[in-house]
Amino acid sequence: MEQHLYDLLIIGGGPGGYTAALYGARAGLQTAVLEKLSAGGQIALTEQVDNYPGFEEGIDGFTLGEKMRAQAERFGVQTIYAEVTSAELTKSPKVLHTSEGTFYAKTVVLATGANPRTLGLPHEQELIGRGVAYCASCDGMFYRGKEVVVVGGGNTAVADALLLSKIAKKVTLVHRRDTLRATKIYQESLEKAENIDILWNHGVSELLFDQKLTGVRFKQLQTGEETTLSCDGLFISVGRNPVTGFVADELALDPNGYVLADESTKTNLPGVFAVGDVRTKPLRQVVTAVSDGAVAAHMAEEFLAGGV
Amino acid sequence: MAAISISSKQFEAWMKEKRLVLVDYWAPWCGYCRRIGPAYDRVAEERKETLPLVKINIDEEAALADAQQIEVIPTLVLYQDGEAVASIVAPDSKAAIDAFLNEALAKR
Repeated sequence: MEQHLYDLLIIGGGPGGYTAALYGARAGLQTAVLEKLSAGGQIALTEQVDNYPGFEEGIDGFTLGEKMRAQAERFGVQTIYAEVTSAELTKSPKVLHTSEGTFYAKTVVLATGANPRTLGLPHEQELIGRGVAYCASCDGMFYRGKEVVVVGGGNTAVADALLLSKIAKKVTLVHRRDTLRATKIYQESLEKAENIDILWNHGVSELLFDQKLTGVRFKQLQTGEETTLSCDGLFISVGRNPVTGFVADELALDPNGYVLADESTKTNLPGVFAVGDVRTKPLRQVVTAVSDGAVAAHMAEEFLAGGV
Repeated sequence: MAAISISSKQFEAWMKEKRLVLVDYWAPWCGYCRRIGPAYDRVAEERKETLPLVKINIDEEAALADAQQIEVIPTLVLYQDGEAVASIVAPDSKAAIDAFLNEALAKR
């Protein structure tokens, strides 16, 4: 394979990645996106995105991702369907080893995002969008009047349970311990909600399904006793894992694995930038990811001009 | 070249004519099936000389999907001389599809 030196290589084709690509290409940089599966990242599995401005009726996440890809490609961005396995980011040029060969670049934008932590149960992956969900604010509206289960005990899990209690008929919150990690203000609201049951010291042991999820089996973690509950939806809120494993040796990360970078998107390594969910930031949304993408392309341009 | 969609009739014909065929069982309502689409098309393009890659919509071809015992989607099934010889459910990257095919085809 002929090796080419890119001005800007972007790892990850979500909203942050393709915005960096769009701005990079429009600034005249030779730009490519390395994406392992399809454009859009996490939103590609979101049925409807209602909090991204410009789409008054909302838009499905897969289509939004494809539109971002097509828009970037209109300005010459190349999409390569490759999975990055390791990187040498302190070298000049920077080297990315992938499933499709080795790539070289003067600057790199890390836009790999974060994956929701899974329960690791059989069939969990293929039931995503068919009863299994990881984002109540994204997918909750599809469960109006239905019965749902939320797994987790942190702020996100309790916020999800509270949000869902306003939409669904009944919510069951399942937690492995006998106390919640969520802050007090959340717990007080939880006690006031009438349609939320809490199942303490339980874990989900099995997903029951036909074409879609039909119920879950729980295990009492102290006695091992199993019970079955029929439900339409299972919301899994047990945290997130940023995708930084392959750069952990070189990039400075916070204790949870997120890349340490501020609003400038600059990491500890010159010419390496981090955008979207993978970087330390207070709000992880499409709108904040695309903002990061624009900033990173600008910073890459400055770096290439020798200004940084 | 994108992977082409085939009907149950075409499926039967292909099973007789072709030594090897990869089928992606999918449905339009399945989000993960849509996500695989671009990578699957890319694999189809890269392997067009050696392996036909096709798609079957299980809503339109429910009887065939039942007969082939497709219980979850997306499922990719490799057929050799009309018989299912290997399958993978919900691969999470183009690299995973390639790895599955490389391993399955090495045994053929």
